[in-house]
Order: sequence, then C-alpha cells, then structure tokens
Amino acid sequence: MSLASIVFYILAFISISMVGVLALITTNYNLSLAETVFYILATVSLVGALGVVVTRNVIYASFLLLTSLMGVASIYLLLLAEFLALVQILIYGGAVIIVILFFIMLTRVHEVKSITDNSQKPFAFITSLLVFGLLLAGILNSNVEVGERSSVPFTELGNSLFTQWAVPFEVASLVLLIALIGAIVIARPKEDE
Amino acid sequence: MDPISENLNNTGVQIAWVAPALGVLSFTLLVLFRKYLPQQGSFISIASMLASFGIFCYVLNSFMSSGGGVFSVEWFNIGTHSFTLGIIVDELSLVMLGLVTFVAANVQLFSIGYMKGDDSFGWYFAVHSLFAASMLMLVLSDNLLLLYMAWELVGVCSYLLIGFWYEKRSAAEAAKKAFVTTRIGDIGLLIGILLLYKATGTFNILDIFHAVSNGGVDSTILTSSLLLIFLGAMGKSAQFPLHVWLPDAMEGPTPVSALIHAATMVVAGVFLVARLFPIFTTTESTMFIISTVGLTTALLTAGIALVMTDLKRVLAYSTISHLGFMMLTLGSFGYTAALFHLITHAFAKALLFLCAGSIAHGTNDVRDIRQMGGLWRRMPVTSVVFSIGLFALAGIPPLSGFFSKDEVLVAILDNGNLLFFSLTVIAALLSSLYMARLFFLVVLGPLKTENEHAHESPLVMTVPLILLAFLSIFAGLIGPGFAGYSGIGDWLFFDKPHHYHINILVVTLSLFVGIGGFVLGWMIYYRGIYSASLISQKFSRLHNLLENKYYIDEFYQKLIDTVALAFARFLATFDRIVINDAAVNGTGRSVFLSGWRLRYLETGKVYNYALGMALGLVSIGLFWWFVVPSI
Amino acid sequence: MSLIHFQILSAAMFSIGLYGVLARRNALLVLLSIEIMLNAVNINLVAFSSYAESAQDVGQIIAIFIITVAAAEVGLAMAIILRLFRDRSSVDLDDVDLMKW
Repeated sequence: MSLASIVFYILAFISISMVGVLALITTNYNLSLAETVFYILATVSLVGALGVVVTRNVIYASFLLLTSLMGVASIYLLLLAEFLALVQILIYGGAVIIVILFFIMLTRVHEVKSITDNSQKPFAFITSLLVFGLLLAGILNSNVEVGERSSVPFTELGNSLFTQWAVPFEVASLVLLIALIGAIVIARPKEDE
Repeated sequence: MDPISENLNNTGVQIAWVAPALGVLSFTLLVLFRKYLPQQGSFISIASMLASFGIFCYVLNSFMSSGGGVFSVEWFNIGTHSFTLGIIVDELSLVMLGLVTFVAANVQLFSIGYMKGDDSFGWYFAVHSLFAASMLMLVLSDNLLLLYMAWELVGVCSYLLIGFWYEKRSAAEAAKKAFVTTRIGDIGLLIGILLLYKATGTFNILDIFHAVSNGGVDSTILTSSLLLIFLGAMGKSAQFPLHVWLPDAMEGPTPVSALIHAATMVVAGVFLVARLFPIFTTTESTMFIISTVGLTTALLTAGIALVMTDLKRVLAYSTISHLGFMMLTLGSFGYTAALFHLITHAFAKALLFLCAGSIAHGTNDVRDIRQMGGLWRRMPVTSVVFSIGLFALAGIPPLSGFFSKDEVLVAILDNGNLLFFSLTVIAALLSSLYMARLFFLVVLGPLKTENEHAHESPLVMTVPLILLAFLSIFAGLIGPGFAGYSGIGDWLFFDKPHHYHINILVVTLSLFVGIGGFVLGWMIYYRGIYSASLISQKFSRLHNLLENKYYIDEFYQKLIDTVALAFARFLATFDRIVINDAAVNGTGRSVFLSGWRLRYLETGKVYNYALGMALGLVSIGLFWWFVVPSI
Repeated sequence: MSLIHFQILSAAMFSIGLYGVLARRNALLVLLSIEIMLNAVNINLVAFSSYAESAQDVGQIIAIFIITVAAAEVGLAMAIILRLFRDRSSVDLDDVDLMKW
C-alpha cells in the first residue's frame, strides 16, 4: 500500500465517523445542527491550538496551526461572515503559513534537534489559567443585549470600509508598506556577500 | 509706693528715655567710626554719659516739682495683644538713674587713664556705652518684657567686658562662666515673667500690681512665678549658690569690675525685687526664702573673703556678701534700708575697685595683698581714698556705711527673727574684719622692696576716686536727712514712710561690730598679737574649706561632667548611630543593596518579560474585579 | 448557541496562545502562538458583530484590519528571526540575552 492510499483510507474513515457522530449527537443530545457543528469546529480549533503549543516538532506545529486557522474560518462561516472567512483562508492559509513554511525550509531549523520548551513552563501554565479564569469571569458577568445571528451584507461592508473606515484603511496599507520595507532592510544580506 | 500720676505735662518724664538712647547712639557711633576718630572715640562715650547725668538732674528737678509718671509708646501687636515700650519715673528709678549715670561717668573717666595704650580702646568704650544704656533701660522700664530685654543686654555687655582680653584663656573661660551661670537664673526669670503674664494678662508692671491687689491672681501661680523671678535675681546678683561667676569675673579690666560687678549690674537683681516689691510682699514664703538666701550668701562669702589673697577677689567676695545683706534686708521687709545700703555700697565698692586698679597701675601690676604694704608712702591719694572706702564699708561712723548698716540691722530686728539678727551681726563683724585686714596689709605696714618704684596715678584716674570718696563720706547723710531735706525714708519707701529712728541697742551693736572688727584686725594683722598663720593652722580644716571656696566650683564641674556631658555623649552617639548611620547612610545603602538584588530580575530573555506583562495583566484584572467594587 | 459560546471559545484560544508565547523557547513557535492569540480576538469581534445589533459591521471591519496587521507582523517577525538565525545559527530564545544584567 502506498502512502497516498493510506492517507485516503484515513481521511475516509474520519469523514464517515464524523457524519456518524453528527447523527448520533443530533438525535441523542437534542442539539440543533448549528450547535453540533459549532462544537465540532470548536474542538478542531482548540485541539489544533493545543497542538501548536505542545508539540516539539516545528513542522507539525505549523500544520496544526493551519488546521486551527481553518477551523476559525469555518466558525466565521457559522457566524454568517462569509467575506471574512474568505479573507481568513486566503491570507492565513495562503500567505502566512506559506511564509512560515518557506522560512522553515530555507533555514532548515527542523534539522537541529533542540529543546522547544523553556524553563518557566509551570508559571506560564498557571498564568494562562489565571487569564482564562479572569476572562471567564468577565464574560459570565457581562450582560449584552443579544439578538439572533445576523449577517452583514457584503456591499455594506465594502461601503463602510471605504467611507467611514477610509483612514484606517489607508493607514493599514501604510503599515503593510512599512512592514515590507522593514523586512527587506532587516533581512538584507551583508554587503560583501 | 506713691500712686503714680500719669502726668503727661511733666517734661522730665517725657525725656527720661533720652538717657539710655544717648548710650545706644554712642555705642553705634563708636562701633562704626572708632577707627577714624581721635582716641578711638572715647570722648563720645564720656560725653554721652555726662549728658545722661545732666538728664538725671533735669528729671530730678522736674520730679521734685511735679512728681513722677509713666510714658509709653506702642511697640507691636500680636493678634489682640499689644505690647508697649515705656518708662516709669518714680523714686526708685530716679535713684537708680542717678546712681548709674554718676558711677558710670566716673568709671569711664578713670578708664581713660587705666586702659591707655590698649588696642581695643574704642571697643571698650562702645560696650561701656551699651552697658550704660541697657542698665538705664532696665531701671526705667515699665513693663517686664522690656526689662527682660534690658536684663539680657546687660548680661551680654558683662560677657563682652569680662572677656575683653579674650586672648587670655582664663578671661574667656570666666566670661563664659558668668554668662552661663546667669543664664540659669535668666531661665527662671523668663518663665516667671511668662507665668505672671498668663495669670494677669499684661506685662505692664503697674497693671500687674492692680491685678494682684484686686485678688484676681491665684496664689500658687503667683508664688511660683515670683520664686522663679527671684531665681533670676539670684543669678544676676550672685546669691548663693549662683555666686560662682563673680569672683572669676575679676579677669576683666578693673574699671569694669568697679562698674558692673560692684555698683550697677549686680544690683539689678536687688532692683528687680524692689521694683516688684508690692507683689513680693503678698507672699510670705517668698520673703522668707529671699531673706534666707541673702543671709546664707552674706555669711558664707564673708568667710571666704577673709582668706583670699588676691585683692580683687577679696573685694569680689565682699560684694557678694553685701549683696546678700541687701537681699536679706529686702526679705525682711526693709525696703528703704536695703536701697539705702545699695546706694552707699555702690559708691564705696566702686571706689575700692578703682583704687585696686590704681594700685595695680602704680605698682606695675601687683595684685596679691601679701606683696603690698606701706603703699601710703608712695601713693598717698590712692591710699587715703582707699582707706575711706574701707572704713565706710566696715561701718565706721560718721561715714555712709555706718548709717546704712545701722538701718539694715534695724530692719532685720524689726522683722522679729532673732536668729537672723544675730547671724547678720556676725556677718557684719566678718565684713569689718576683712576690711581691716585689707587696710593693715595694703595701706600700712613696711614698704616691700619691689614696690620702691611705685608711683601715684595720673589726675584723670584720681579725680574720679576723690569724687567717689566724697560721696562715700557724705552719702550717709541722706539717711537721717540734713539741712532741710527730709531723710530718705520719707520719699523712698514702701507702703508708708519710714522714719529714721535711732535704736540704741542697734547703734551700739553696730558701733561695736565696726570698731571691734578693726581692733581685731589691728591685733592680728598689724601687731601680730594673734598670728594669722597660727590661727589658720589651728582651724586648718575650716581654713582649707574657705580657701577652696567650699569646693563649690568642683561640685559644679562634677555635676556638669556627669549630667550634661553624659547627656551630650548620649546625644552624640544617637546622632552618629541613628541619624547618620541608620537613617542617612542607611537609606543610601538600602537603595544600593536593593538594586544589587533586584538586578537579577532583568534576565534579558524575552519570555521572562512577557510573563511579567501577563502577570501584570492578571493582577490588574484581579484588582479591578475584587478591590474596585468595594471602594 | 448564543454569544457566550463564542466568547468562551475565544477566551480559551487566547489562553492557549498565551501559554504558547510564555512557555516556548523556539522563536518560530512563539510566532505561531501569537497568531493563535490574534485569531482568538478575531473570533470574539466577529461574534459580537454578528449577535449584537448596535455594532453591525464594526467587528468585521476591525477583524479585517487585525488580519492585515497580523500578516504584516508575521513578515517582519520572520525577517528578524532570519537575522537572528543567520548570526548565531539557532533560533533559541535563551541565547538572546544581551540585555542581561
């Protein structure tokens, strides 16, 4: 059996089981379809994120990040923000991850075996738990008027982006320019090379 | 005292303040310009003194025609309290005015000759003027605040003049001792004055008298404040045990001793008690304490005077003894007698001190009486006036001292305490004895070979001597009165006129004491019938005690060492350890040390800093969550 | 499925990302964790924009800007890490302590 076929079989198994799980959950736990989908997508994102912060391999980390980001894009779809999901996949999946992978390949970081976790791991764990608790407390104690999910028409988005938010838009383009120039300057090879 | 009339048409009252003002003017001129004036400006000082005496005559004249009064101007305000500068012209201040100006003028005249050739000639006269001005202000002032100011000024001038030759270590030490000892009294004076102010609400003397006689003052407060004021008088008038500064003050120039430490400054304490007599007499216990202190002083220091060998020291202890007599008399309600004795003593003592200066001038600085003798051969004028002064103070009639001493004894006897009376008689005998000792050892006797070249002093020095001697002879007549003038008791009295009456017992006693002392002295010191050295050997322990002045100076020194210096050492250690090391240096060191320890916080690693940021966020969140709602 | 679910998801992802930033030694992995944090914030914003009527499109627009800036920042960060790697051939953050005491 070739690698491709192994992958194919694994993917098939995953998708079928997912459908099964979906059916199971919707019938047994009395969850609506949207809720079930949300839970699955949330799990994907969180597991991906966890994987990024736990794994010792850099390449695994970048691919897990890709997974997590795609999960986030799906959540945008769930929130009826189609344009944003589009942008998310385009930019993150199409640009950021590519840049990261390029960097890994070019500098061959993964070939050097190194320790990936530093000495303040326990403190970091406690701190992140504390922050999560804090945020949770804030969330649970806030009362915001909540309606139903609503989508923003794409045209309105574009309209306000170029009228009300025109200045930040221009500034954002400036930021990109500066980042571009900065990256070139910093990463420039030495003169005599 | 007579009720004083506020008679503003009385020009004498209105210009009496010019006398001290002239002194201040003279001081200022001399301090500023003495380098440019001929003779360093001494003539300014003498002129101001003579002018002040002239003012006294004018004021006396106007007093005799239109009576006394008060004259005051507003000084400053603090909130609702206002303070005034003012003068009283009554019999007491008039007497003191005349005394001070006359004696000061004479002493300054004498100083021209005595201090000739001294580098700080001008400064000497400047401080003299300032002293005269402050003493006059003291006797003229009508409120206790001004009096206290003048009191302190007088002390300062005394300090400056005692330590006039400040290059000499002993002189500087003596000046310091005088100032510190009188300071102890001055603290009492200040507290007493403030207590009195708190009780009566005013510094003005006449108003205080009114307040006390109206019964508005609590008697405990009154007694304690009066006792404290008397403490101040004790310091200034060298009563036992604050007498230790006066003998050491002889380090100053002799004219200074004559003026300040015989006739004027030291009587400031006696004057203060006399000025406040109306309220002193309301408290029986205070009067008893005053008289006891006075008697102790008189008796003890008379004994010391008997064994001293330095001429000025004998005179100093004699002064202390006579001051004790004055205090004793005041304490026995003898107002007139005390002041009478003050006047005669002032003239006679000033005379004696100036003669000591003349003797030192003429014999090339001999001060030990054992090196003197037979001076009448070489210095006739000085010897004659010296003898007059000695006789006067011993109480030989018809010189002034006889009358005043007689009055003193009468006053003490009238007060009823026989023990005091007999002890006073003994003290009077001792005073006569040491005067006789001086007479026989200094004036009479064989001339010592070292004094062969002794010469009489110049005229500028002998004229004041003669003037003072004249007064020593005739001032006694103001006691009983003469030629149509009434006796002193008719116009200088407290409560009711005190007629000079003759008490046969007292007269014989004082005659006996005066002449007897001289006879005894003749026997011991001149004829040697009872050898002085044999007596001192027989009573060697007593003699030692007297010679060492009852070891009081050593006792004070030990007290200072154990109490004051130990406290100073404690304070120094406290300052060094607590304030310097712990607080000042410690603060610096703690900053340094904390920085030394805290620098490990900067590890240079980014993730450490990120953790810090995150923890900061967490703490802000917790603060916001838990603390802010409860505020 | 209300706003709260999304908010909790966002908070959880944020904490996970924070852990990654604080506990990782490899500079690259720190960068990835930062991306996770930024995405968590985006989820929150978009959720609000979807559920609350008062801010209809603001959330999404801000989310767009965040994505923009995140992309720019990744580029710059990469350049820095590249430089680091070139100078000492390791991306270990423990070696970058020149500002040590």
